[in-house]
Amino acid sequence: MSEIAQTLDRIIGMSIDTYYNPYKTFQWPDELPNEQWWMTRDLMTIRGTALESQLSEKQLMALSKWESIHFYSLNVHGIRELLLEVIKRVHTPGFEEESEFFHHFVGEENEHMWFFATFCLKYGKKIYVDKKIKIPAGEMPADIESLLVFARVLIFEEIVDYFNLRMGRDESLHPIIRQVNAIHHQDESRHIAFGREIVKLLWEGVRERHPAERQQEIRDYLGRYLQASIQSLYSPAVYADAGVPEPYKVRTALLADPVRHEADIRVLKRTTDFFSSLGLHS
Amino acid sequence: MTPEIADVKRWLLERKPEIGDLDPDFDLIDNRVIDSLSFLDFVFFLEELTGRELQATAETVHHFRTLRAIEGNILHV
Repeated sequence: MSEIAQTLDRIIGMSIDTYYNPYKTFQWPDELPNEQWWMTRDLMTIRGTALESQLSEKQLMALSKWESIHFYSLNVHGIRELLLEVIKRVHTPGFEEESEFFHHFVGEENEHMWFFATFCLKYGKKIYVDKKIKIPAGEMPADIESLLVFARVLIFEEIVDYFNLRMGRDESLHPIIRQVNAIHHQDESRHIAFGREIVKLLWEGVRERHPAERQQEIRDYLGRYLQASIQSLYSPAVYADAGVPEPYKVRTALLADPVRHEADIRVLKRTTDFFSSLGLHS
Repeated sequence: MTPEIADVKRWLLERKPEIGDLDPDFDLIDNRVIDSLSFLDFVFFLEELTGRELQATAETVHHFRTLRAIEGNILHV
């Protein structure tokens, strides 16, 4: 049995055994107090910066609220994108072995999207709009396109999981916030296990079929994608909602701050280590 | 050239100096001056410049395709 077949066998079994009804699992409070921590302080985009020390605890709590609503909004948009890509591939040539798992993946991701959207709409009264757009990069061989799709999905899931793992255990957060994050982490562990196997498999195929120059283009693209993904957490709309003046200048300053650069490297480390082990990161 | 479009041009050339110069009708998307990964930063830059939130979709991406289109559709509306 191949490595991916073993992983699929294991995670499909876990999906079936741990299946829960998300529509009954959460007891959503009607409202959450504004003056509380909505996000683990260490995960906020201003953590460790001069701006953090200039804001009062009340302002920081407001910022934690809008950063959390923005984080779940990014999840909603990210899940929409990955669902479209996986649906395009289920039961198509090349994905015969994975299709059974795709049914579980699509079902679970749909439910994650629902609970993240519910949180945003119930407690933030909005989902932050997705300002990213997809600009077609021209004709691309199907094997490279699939590799990039599953690498992007994996990057997204690993970044989100870094947050979920910590927020699911953070006792300074409201129980519903901990629960949403803990449950997502539990499901995403399976999706990440699958993501790592399929990225490895697709990359092996791409390496056999495409020249070194093309392989380097893929590494360069994924390096840029990692940066763009982590930088999407820094949102001027969030800073504006929290009443922070000059929100665009704040974003620019935070992205240039070495403290934030180090923090972002820590978030990405698990992914960059994995990509490096495959020769997919330079 | 208005001061705003000169700012846009400067912002783009700082990130892609190899282009040398930007004609008002130079296709920024086909020539990869902006792509999916740099688009978000570009939108935030334009939002700061115009003082209003922008929302691009696949249907309105042509508003960002050239300096002339940006001037007509985003800077002066």
